[in-house]
Amino acid sequence: MQFLKKIIFFYYREYKLNLSGLQDILTNIIFFFISIFIFIFSIGPNKEIISLIGVGIVWTLLLLSSTLSLRKFYHDDFENGNLLIMHLNGFSFGFIAILKTFSHFLFVQIPFLLSIPVACILLNIAYDKLIYIFASFAIGSLILSCLGSISSSMNLMNQRNFLLGSVIVMIFSVPVIIFSVGVINLEENFYSLINILFGILLIVFAINPWASGLCLKLSLENS
Amino acid sequence: MILVKDLSIQRSDKKIFENINLSLSPGKIILLKGRNGSGKTTLLKAIINIIEPTSGSIFWKGKTLNKNLYDFYKNVTFISDRTSSLNKLTVQENINIWKKFFMSKITKFQIENILKTLKLEVYLNQKVNSLSFGETKKLEFLRLIIEGKKIWILDEPLSSLDDESIDIIGQTFQDHRSKDGSIIFSSHQNTDIGISEEIRL
Repeated sequence: MQFLKKIIFFYYREYKLNLSGLQDILTNIIFFFISIFIFIFSIGPNKEIISLIGVGIVWTLLLLSSTLSLRKFYHDDFENGNLLIMHLNGFSFGFIAILKTFSHFLFVQIPFLLSIPVACILLNIAYDKLIYIFASFAIGSLILSCLGSISSSMNLMNQRNFLLGSVIVMIFSVPVIIFSVGVINLEENFYSLINILFGILLIVFAINPWASGLCLKLSLENS
Repeated sequence: MILVKDLSIQRSDKKIFENINLSLSPGKIILLKGRNGSGKTTLLKAIINIIEPTSGSIFWKGKTLNKNLYDFYKNVTFISDRTSSLNKLTVQENINIWKKFFMSKITKFQIENILKTLKLEVYLNQKVNSLSFGETKKLEFLRLIIEGKKIWILDEPLSSLDDESIDIIGQTFQDHRSKDGSIIFSSHQNTDIGISEEIRL
């Protein structure tokens, strides 16, 4: 029971932190929408082309926008020693990785989920595809959070090159993009593709605590 | 009780220290002294099991630390050379988070008294990033008291503090000792806080 309370208070802390850093979340969303506008202006006023590649644009920009927030994933808690304090209070490094991944999903990815309908209007994506975008994004964004956790924990060991973590996320998110866009464009294969996405989620979800936990331990050891 | 026996740490062919022995029993305050790079922080991190020693053992309540880690962590807290308070939040918000996360039974009245002693009561509604480094360092001690653990492991807790603050921290150490608490801390400063044992690295 005490452990459960600690988890609840961990999220209370994350909520307070994200609330005080609301401008970071808003900046990410503004980046997302400005990039959509840039795409629209660069393609021109052809509604059919925009509508055709709209889903791909949304997914690419979601990926780019979520990588913007990766630097903050563990960095602050590592720098101010809170990772160590959490560990001394009964959270293993792997468990911290799971908690932080869900925190990233809740406070960084969910605001994107809420802004998708507006993006669909801007990109002339049919409303009947919205449910498929939501379904693929709900799973895909959790995969991105898991990959983000691994790459940003690796970044703690290599603080000179932040881009390395982003590159890792980009490479491993290629299958996510392929199947997520496939879910929306190939509606007749919806269940088979969503199952593949779910399978990828289970794989990265299993690897994440192990890989991130190890990187967190090593970075604290070497700090 | 923590017992460190013949502890040596080596990193990429460089010996940090070797054959360190110490015992930290209730009511004892140990000071680790040494020049920069002598391995004070490394020893403290080894004691809390963040760094694997090259040789030697650490025991907690008679058992090897690795076999008794969960119980050890229930009794130990740590201050690093950084400050753990959340910069974007106010002092009061930090206190609320600590109280909740550590499930502390400390009363509002007790916290007010500690804040007065540490001369931090005027900053209660200010954001931590507006405080000086010395003041945030003092705030760390409030966290230790809220956590209420028996063993304090502190890395350079006195750096950036003025003489008056060091006296207050000294008094805090003695209060903790009187409640059967124990402290091991590193410092490169000369201090007359009532120390039971000094270990040179």
